[in-house]
Amino acid sequence: MPGIEFLLGALTPLNILLALSGVVAGTVIGSLPGLTATMAVAVLVPITFSMEPTTALIMMGAIYTGAIYGGAYSAILLNTPGTPSAIATTFDGFPMARKGQGDLAITLACIASVTGGLVGATFLLMLAPPLAEIALAFGPVEYFWLAIFGLTLISALSKGNLLKGLIGACFGLLLACVGIAEISADIRFTFGSQVLLGGIETVTALIGLYCIPVLIDLVATPDRHLKVTHKPRGFRFIEALGLAWKSKFSLIRSSVVGTLVGILPGAGGSIAGLVAYSEARRTSKNKENFGKGEPEGVMATESANNATVGGGFIPTLVLGIPGTPPDAVILGALLVQGIRTGPTLFTEKGSIVFTFIYGLYLATFLMLPVGLVIGRYAYQTIITVPKAMLVPTVAFMTMIGTYAIRNSISDVMIMIILGVIGWILNRFGFSPSPIVLGLILGRIAEQGFVQAWTIGAATGELWKMFFGRPISLAIIAFILLSLFYPIIRSRFSKTIGEAGNVE
Amino acid sequence: MSNNLNTGLQRDTATIVMASLFIIVSVVSLWDTTHMLDSDSYVFPRAIAIAMIILSLSLIVWNLVKPRMEKSDAVPEASTIRRVSLVVVMLGSCLAMPWLGFLIPGIATFVLLMWIAMYDEWTTKRMIIYPLIAVVIVLGFYTLFGNILQVPLPVGTLFE
Repeated sequence: MPGIEFLLGALTPLNILLALSGVVAGTVIGSLPGLTATMAVAVLVPITFSMEPTTALIMMGAIYTGAIYGGAYSAILLNTPGTPSAIATTFDGFPMARKGQGDLAITLACIASVTGGLVGATFLLMLAPPLAEIALAFGPVEYFWLAIFGLTLISALSKGNLLKGLIGACFGLLLACVGIAEISADIRFTFGSQVLLGGIETVTALIGLYCIPVLIDLVATPDRHLKVTHKPRGFRFIEALGLAWKSKFSLIRSSVVGTLVGILPGAGGSIAGLVAYSEARRTSKNKENFGKGEPEGVMATESANNATVGGGFIPTLVLGIPGTPPDAVILGALLVQGIRTGPTLFTEKGSIVFTFIYGLYLATFLMLPVGLVIGRYAYQTIITVPKAMLVPTVAFMTMIGTYAIRNSISDVMIMIILGVIGWILNRFGFSPSPIVLGLILGRIAEQGFVQAWTIGAATGELWKMFFGRPISLAIIAFILLSLFYPIIRSRFSKTIGEAGNVE
Repeated sequence: MSNNLNTGLQRDTATIVMASLFIIVSVVSLWDTTHMLDSDSYVFPRAIAIAMIILSLSLIVWNLVKPRMEKSDAVPEASTIRRVSLVVVMLGSCLAMPWLGFLIPGIATFVLLMWIAMYDEWTTKRMIIYPLIAVVIVLGFYTLFGNILQVPLPVGTLFE
């Protein structure tokens, strides 16, 4: 294990102060719909250019950690994931908030995020070089299948029936094709409109499909946004800690899942959260409560998405391949600092890397008090603000947040129109989650599919290309399992029930 | 009971209509791919469009063979006028910003949305305080995004 000198190097007053500022800034930015972890890091990265490399890395890691956690606030309180990695947090977080348990959900999310962050950082500290090899074993076909796995998972997990979920996922994949094709630069699905040339931005769609339907429903009735059944009960920390302890195995498993998915470049927190959520539901004693406000669901997602921070740094630092989009920004900042990432980084610049990893621990620990305090104020604000204030504030945030992504008014209009489409689809049982994930994973899926198709066609082994590699076959098995598991389970339980009746 | 049944049947018809719309979207997408020159551009969207047609047809067949009662989320007393007004005001704001800049349409949008979302009585106190809060919030966002985050907010062609 790397020496104590690196730990002491991370714990200087300046580093602690910057890590604290980074976590606060990241949490606040991540909590605003439209401002993602990538944007939080990108906006604040110039501040770090004048710093020492280690200090700069610690601050960037802190911003990233805070922003990923911050995404949970709007997911829980507004049913709008602040960042794409918080999509699955909406499944149980918002139902908890509607039942008057929003404060508990936020504290649970904070504890889970800290656990996930610590597990991810530990993997980064102990196993970075061997784990990075996993990322190299994934070729284009594996990424294609991984994207499809994410989509089948979300289709199976979302509200409504599986077919509707899969149709939504396909619709999302088609939306991802709008604009100029990345591989061949053909113009697709713009129908002559210049507005659509730039494509549909993922976060724009995310805000539109999640937030606008909430606003449309919020404005239509005089009911309160969230039910409040009790007077404020503080942080509910002990209660949350008790629940976390009860689900300790699920929490650790979700964190490990998050780390491993985070290692795969491009897969990111959204898939990690979904896989962890699905596993938590599959193994839980309360599986029928998932989707209705089950605390374990919130913890699984939040631990997994924060574990991707440490996981994503593994390929970033060892291979120079960014594991997640914010890692790409951090990689660029490291190049500005004159640090070249790669296999020799851990030996040649060990002092910087290990001090940074300890800095990541520091930021994760700081997230606990920061997250609890900010979360409490966010919750109090949401439940006390009158509807006449809440609706325009959230609407305004969605508009300016969307505009800020590409400085485009057209994006704001696309966001609103998608929101209306999302509201209509939702009324007929088409959940927004598969559509958004289709849009997020569309690029990975298409690149993998087209590359595999081209190689397969050129070598005359198309079938073998898609179905002939062991990792692909394993992922396909998981896809089939995610699609048919509910049917198998219901058949199995029916058989057991009939056998019980016979007896 | 009969009311429930009606709702169920209506929902099934609606699902079939929605699935048919998805088929139309897929067909239009397939037609659009015929204009693409490079196979790298069309192979993926075509595969997805075909998958969407198959899934939508399956959904239609499934609904015809095994019609299921689905609970509607619709709230009967919900106000459609307020819903439509919200969307119209937001879209109107987007159309006005390139002409009038960020601040004026921003404040106007905020105040209008406030009015649309208001279910309590407009007392004199509220009529004074709420618009003031609207101005403070919009100015706060303006400062945060325009000055701190350096986002180039629209200036408005009328004021250039």
